[in-house]
Amino acid sequence: MKKITILLIFSVLIITGNAQNADFSGYARNYTGVLYNTGDLSILQNTFNLDVSKTGEKIGFKVNPMLYHYWADSLDLRLREIYVDLYFKNFDIRVGKQQIVWGKADGVFITDVVSPLNLEEFLLPDFDEIRTGVSAVKLDYYIGNNTLEAIWIPQFTPAGMPKPGSIWYIQPEFPAPATFDWSKSEITPSLENSEFFAKYSVFTSAIDFEIMGGYTWDDYPTMHVQKEFAVNSATHQPYLAGLNITPEHHRLYLGGGSFSTEIKGFVLRGEAAYYNGKYFQTTDPAAVDALVQKDYLHYLAGLDFNVGNVKLSTQFIQEYILNYEDSITNNEFQNTMTFLARYDTPNDLLHFELFSYVGLTDGDALIRPKITYDFDDSFSILLGSNIFVGDRDGRFGQYQDNSMIYMKLKYSF
Amino acid sequence: MKSLKITTVLIILTMIGGFNVSAQKLTGKQIIEKVYNRPTGDDQSSNLTMTLINSQGKQRIRKLTQYLNDNGTVEKKIMFFTAPADVKGTSFMNWSYSNGKPDDQWIYLPALKKIKRISSDSKGDYFMGSDFTYDDLGDRHPDQDTHKLLREETVNGVKCYVVQSIPKDKDYMYSKTITWINKATFVGVKKEFYDEDGDLLKIMHVNSSKNISGIIVVTKITMQNKQKNHKTIMSLSNVKINSGIPDSKFTERMMMRGI
Repeated sequence: MKKITILLIFSVLIITGNAQNADFSGYARNYTGVLYNTGDLSILQNTFNLDVSKTGEKIGFKVNPMLYHYWADSLDLRLREIYVDLYFKNFDIRVGKQQIVWGKADGVFITDVVSPLNLEEFLLPDFDEIRTGVSAVKLDYYIGNNTLEAIWIPQFTPAGMPKPGSIWYIQPEFPAPATFDWSKSEITPSLENSEFFAKYSVFTSAIDFEIMGGYTWDDYPTMHVQKEFAVNSATHQPYLAGLNITPEHHRLYLGGGSFSTEIKGFVLRGEAAYYNGKYFQTTDPAAVDALVQKDYLHYLAGLDFNVGNVKLSTQFIQEYILNYEDSITNNEFQNTMTFLARYDTPNDLLHFELFSYVGLTDGDALIRPKITYDFDDSFSILLGSNIFVGDRDGRFGQYQDNSMIYMKLKYSF
Repeated sequence: MKSLKITTVLIILTMIGGFNVSAQKLTGKQIIEKVYNRPTGDDQSSNLTMTLINSQGKQRIRKLTQYLNDNGTVEKKIMFFTAPADVKGTSFMNWSYSNGKPDDQWIYLPALKKIKRISSDSKGDYFMGSDFTYDDLGDRHPDQDTHKLLREETVNGVKCYVVQSIPKDKDYMYSKTITWINKATFVGVKKEFYDEDGDLLKIMHVNSSKNISGIIVVTKITMQNKQKNHKTIMSLSNVKINSGIPDSKFTERMMMRGI
């Protein structure tokens, strides 16, 4: 039945595309990874990405299904985007499932919070695949080179997290048996439960900048923890007998902005977001549900420059919990840096890239070298590695056992 | 109306003279200034195909549609890449300024759905893997070089000035260039590029041209790297001049929407 559905969808797409004289593009890709430690396959994935689109004078549309085939027989069809565009003199409207990208950061998500992340494979997927499309109405109103963007998302989509059984799933450790109550984890689509975002972007010779705000849901559920105590029959002392954990998404207000400008050949970028009343876990026994609400600042400064024909980029990122209390389980400051070096050989045949996240607070890192060779204008092979090092309690070091080498064969059309 | 300093070498080589100064009296600098200050219209659009050919004869094709506009102080250019498939939808925008201010450049990558400001300090980079650097495609001001009329000679039946240009900036990627310029039209015919050691690096030949809206436009040109035995053929088609391209074409909105 699933195969019939897929065939039907693709048939409709092709017929529609032909009828409307639409553009077809996409790729077929094999992605195979092997873990360094064990030699086990970390991933065996075949992907077919089809992008059908048309842009006219007054209307446009895009349909972008992606079919993932994992291991022997697991199929996963995702409609990454499907939307209709309406173009007017001074404004555009986009309605449908869409990926919305904000901000100036590379590989870091600060004001880029409209489309949630799919972290089922941590941060490893390409950045166009790591975002989840949201069903939204987006209005862009143009004032010269400036744009006012307003977004209404009637249905909340949470971030995708690794599932038990995945090499990216980290089994949480509890001091007592835990019971999960998922009854509050869903957000019913409604006007009241909608998310709203707005952004004003300015595009000038001297500087590009954006100011944004949002009334949203936290993409990551807050774990409300209620402790159950019992009395030891032998010692007559109370002890922690169990935990009742209720994951729940909470409302968030956030505001922020970003900019980029060029100074003597260096592109300077900055981005910041301020969250009002974000929940954090605490060990304070007096705290209700082991939670405390704090304001939270997430910001970045970055620099892009060239040395000869090598393109270099570095970013410093800080996450800061305001009015910090020692009982909060997160660090008050979480500092990270990123580094990027890229070199393309003459004739565009070989591409070398090294991208790294370095966790300054935890002393860990994710190092991602890769080499791409273009056989021709359609076919390329990529050899790369994801190397996790450092403190096993760190964001990257916890995946030390998942360091891998991988290959991607890709045919684009 | 200020002349349009079109930022592709195809157009740089297309200038029509229309000057009254006697040819015999011209210096090397005067000849290059006439090439630079040619009248070429207010705007231009065209489709550009680049064929990259390596030493084994293997070909790769790059295609894009480009629009140019000059209001006298700012020249704006936007390119929409249409092939190969993996770069389709990418757009590149450049604003260059007559007052010498460094260019502003942005690139839109459809996979990232994001417009990035990029450094214009990359004039020596090769454009889309071709044998043309960004500087080869740019509008180099005559004051940046010292020019000398070497001789006059005939190339393929065309009487030409032969002008040597040596950069004042010692760190420039070429130690010198030699340009053959049509004496009658001040259109470039051929150009040699010499590397930092003074050895011949590249030769550019004009293969064909057309008169479009009263302006001669070179429609096919070949750049050959003599040291690596690569070559790139650039062909222009569907060229339109003074079609009234609005300033709104050169915006964030259009970069993201596409052609």
